[in-house]
Amino acid sequence: MKNIRRIWNGILLAAILFSCEDKISPTLERAAPVLVVDAWLNNKPGFQTIILTQTQTYFDNTNPPAVSGAVVTVIDDQGTIFPFPENDRTPGDYVWKPLSNEVFGTIGNRYTLTIKVNGETFESRSYMGRVPVIDSITFDKQKRISSKDSITRAEFWATDPVGHGDAYWIRSYKNGVLLNKPREINVAYDAGFSAGGETDGVTFITPIRRGINSNDQNSRGNNVSPFHVGDSVNVQIHSITHAAFNYLNEVKIQTDRPGGFQELFSTPLANVSTNISNTKTNGTTALGFFNVAAVSSAGKRFKK
Amino acid sequence: MKQLICIAFFFLLFYSGFSQQKFTINGTIKDASNGEALIGVTVFISEIKSGATTNEYGFYAITLSTATYSISYSYVGFQLVSKKIDLNKDTQLNIELLPETEQLQEVVVQAEIEQANVQNLEMSTNKLEIKTILRLPTLFGESDVLRSLQLLPGVSTVGEGASGFNVRGGSVGQNLILLDEAPVYNSSHLFGFFSVFNPDAVKDTKLYKGAIPSRYGGRLASILDVRMKEGNSKKFEVTGGIGSVFSRLAVEGPLIKDKASFIIAVRRSYIDVLARPFVQLLKDGGALNFYDLTMKTNYNINRKNRVYLSGYFGRDNFKFDKTQGFNWGNSTATARWNHLFNERLFSNLTLVYSKYDYALQFGKDDRNRFSWNSSITNFILRPQFTYFINSKNELNFGGDATYYTFAPANAVGVTNGKSVDISLDKKYNLETALHIGNSQKLTNAFSIEYGLRFSNFQSMGPGTSYSYNDTIPGIRKSVIGAKTYASGEAIVSYRNLEPRLSFKVQGNETSSVKGSYNRMVQYLHLISNTTASNPLDVWNPSSNNIKPQIADQFTLGYFKDIGEARKYEFSVEGYLRYTQNQLDYIDGADLLINRYLEGDLLSGRGRAYGLETYFQKKTGRLTGWVSYTLGRTELKVDGINRGEWYETRYNQTHNLKIAAFYDINSRWSVSGNFIYTSGTPTTFPTSRYIQQGILIPYNVNESRNNVHLKSYHRLDISFRLEGKKVKNGKERRNTDYWVFSLYNVYGRRNPFSIYFSQNDIRVPAGQPLQSQATQLSIIGSVIPSISYNFKF
Repeated sequence: MKNIRRIWNGILLAAILFSCEDKISPTLERAAPVLVVDAWLNNKPGFQTIILTQTQTYFDNTNPPAVSGAVVTVIDDQGTIFPFPENDRTPGDYVWKPLSNEVFGTIGNRYTLTIKVNGETFESRSYMGRVPVIDSITFDKQKRISSKDSITRAEFWATDPVGHGDAYWIRSYKNGVLLNKPREINVAYDAGFSAGGETDGVTFITPIRRGINSNDQNSRGNNVSPFHVGDSVNVQIHSITHAAFNYLNEVKIQTDRPGGFQELFSTPLANVSTNISNTKTNGTTALGFFNVAAVSSAGKRFKK
Repeated sequence: MKQLICIAFFFLLFYSGFSQQKFTINGTIKDASNGEALIGVTVFISEIKSGATTNEYGFYAITLSTATYSISYSYVGFQLVSKKIDLNKDTQLNIELLPETEQLQEVVVQAEIEQANVQNLEMSTNKLEIKTILRLPTLFGESDVLRSLQLLPGVSTVGEGASGFNVRGGSVGQNLILLDEAPVYNSSHLFGFFSVFNPDAVKDTKLYKGAIPSRYGGRLASILDVRMKEGNSKKFEVTGGIGSVFSRLAVEGPLIKDKASFIIAVRRSYIDVLARPFVQLLKDGGALNFYDLTMKTNYNINRKNRVYLSGYFGRDNFKFDKTQGFNWGNSTATARWNHLFNERLFSNLTLVYSKYDYALQFGKDDRNRFSWNSSITNFILRPQFTYFINSKNELNFGGDATYYTFAPANAVGVTNGKSVDISLDKKYNLETALHIGNSQKLTNAFSIEYGLRFSNFQSMGPGTSYSYNDTIPGIRKSVIGAKTYASGEAIVSYRNLEPRLSFKVQGNETSSVKGSYNRMVQYLHLISNTTASNPLDVWNPSSNNIKPQIADQFTLGYFKDIGEARKYEFSVEGYLRYTQNQLDYIDGADLLINRYLEGDLLSGRGRAYGLETYFQKKTGRLTGWVSYTLGRTELKVDGINRGEWYETRYNQTHNLKIAAFYDINSRWSVSGNFIYTSGTPTTFPTSRYIQQGILIPYNVNESRNNVHLKSYHRLDISFRLEGKKVKNGKERRNTDYWVFSLYNVYGRRNPFSIYFSQNDIRVPAGQPLQSQATQLSIIGSVIPSISYNFKF
């Protein structure tokens, strides 16, 4: 029930009238930079990219500094080596280029990522899990009782395969743009929210099916309809490991901070986990995540 | 050790001996205006310079040798009554005290023998009279018991709108809140803006922060004992009020004059009705309201027997639209039987039923929906005895048995027509305790109270217990084994001895030094990792993986009365508390509907210490108090803050409160309170990084609560206008008054929290993400309000 925070969303009544928020710029403790690995690979056709950067001070609103000169490879449990040479034009991007129609990875295989940089070696492991097909996408148009406009939401339909312990990250694109606000992180364990949910082998539960809609507000703070006539949606289900499932939940808790009355029920700020480790026990730490996903996708345009 | 305690106990008990011919004076003391029993009335016998105080039922007893005595009965706000008695047989003296007239200007306090704080053995307790609560400035014009409590020394809160309160650095879940002896598991309405106690039905509240008598147990930090009115036994009375958030109405009166009475009090909020035109959600069929019903009746069967029946039912409703929403509430029922076995042995038998539950519904059609409810139910049987041995000893003993049923989740989801039951097993527990305690006057200057509570907690089948692997602290633990138990089979049990000890050394008539030690054990745990606790927080019993929480508290205090007729009262108290088996949570813990919740819990130690000073002016046109607490509360948990001590979220170094009441003339009075507290701790990141286009905050030092919010201060003022007493030359039968209040007079934006997030605007690929910090004030302006209150 991690998404329970959603239910606080509307409960603003008493506070809405009197609460207020101010943007502030507090002084923060100084911190040395740390290596960040962004390695979310999948079996979609095309290039696969691993990005190496460094942490910045929190209020440094520039693109993060790239980490160049690393040697990055992925090897699977069949002994296949996937080299990720650094891209000449975009330093810090390490790219695997497929030969002809080849895709990255095979369902059921295990993968090891190795990064050699500045005399240190970092490692991480992942596994490519299975993924269900998307049966269909529907649009649901609802009239608001009190106003003239209506709200259209998309919903995808798919069924988790029988067998406990599948985990997914459902990512959606609206008109070709990835929806990746913190609030839009949509992860599933089997067909539900968590391991204890006993939702194996059924259709994904409603909030996950509808978790593919954009979360945008107009200048007056009202929710705008996610879809209008002519808009398209593309839904992708990525298989993820349990560690990645936990990781994304932690990311969501730490980054989805809508503020307002919900702050009463927020949890303390804490570091999210990582699955990147230094091969030396006393070596420097690295942040970020490595996951290898199988992907199924479907798209649809909202006509009327 | 145990034997030693027992021996010492009986030695002390019989030390005083029974030599001479002795008789007992006992009785019940009531308010002459409405027949309500008065709690804590001082009964003073000048010849022995000693006396007694009335208990929770207004009963007192003193045993003395044959002689002539002058007895005085005194109570703040009431006229003193003196009696002379030739004691040669057991005597019953039931007294009715007359309230002081409300024209305070000519009140000259007589040479009252106020046995206030100084002479009483009690320490670390605060009593808040309902009269005081009703005069304090309010938020939205509504008097509130728990908000008023926050003006007392040692009591704090994480911020406006947060439910519950923190006592001496304890968490919200470490307070036992009793409404006529029934535990209240969630004391708030509307998330925390108001409490469940209807001031029209409350007689008396008392907060025990330390030196807790052996008859109380089950929580580490405090016991809040709220007693309901019995109802006017003299005449029918209707009281009520109309405020900006809710309206109240209470009816009370005699069923049989001076023998039986009742009170029924109701409240209903109507903010949703008022806000409907402005709030989209409400127009769409949503709702947000709460109501509660409090009632009590009692019957005085005869001189030796009296029964009471009281109950509470309240509920908060929140609906997103016509079919989706959630609601929560408490219901309690208490039956009590006071019985006098003989002149000196008073007993009370209490039966309690208490339940807290909540329910949620989502989904608009039958093929796709989700419903979930959760509850904690308990039945309590509690016999209590007080044996008034002699003028020097008062022995309390009794027992407690509580049977709990926890239903953490009855939850069913229907997805695409297929139903999935994700309910969790119910948990059954029995908590029992035996307790004994004696308060003894060793010499005129030295008194002690010593007691022992033996508590036992058992978790019973049917059920399953899980065992977990060991991981690096802070990482989710996985289940490695499960064992199922048959119905009634013991899964795990815990036993604890809880010694309680306090003493008083009387320096002179107006000053004393008191100290105490007590151990408290808590078998239930409020599972909450959010800033403020919320209605969905689950109470979890101790299990094979969750050990009972234990606290050892030491206190030392100095108490002084100053001025003529003891007009001023001053006290300073230090406390030190060590706690064990404190719960915290792994990052990303999943606390709701999680079968393997215990794998997400961490355990650690706590320490809290502080100094409370309190200065009160009790009489005159200007009354009030100043309370200042210097304190600190910390936890040390493996897996958090690098395993080092960290401040709790509700730690406040300085906590200053001033409350003042001033009578301008016979109709106008003004009251004000000022609060200044240090900012509570919070966690700031040091760095940021990006993962898949999402900006993540990072603290390179892995700190928890490494910075403090700005300090909090606020001034509230309210004016009270009494209605005219005389109308058209005739005295009015009914009385009424208006309250005009200003909350947060100078409109300070007190920070509740600071949170870090990425800007909500979508950024095109390749463009940098913008990070920001936002400071939230729950109340950022002055809030004026008006309420009208009446009585007839």
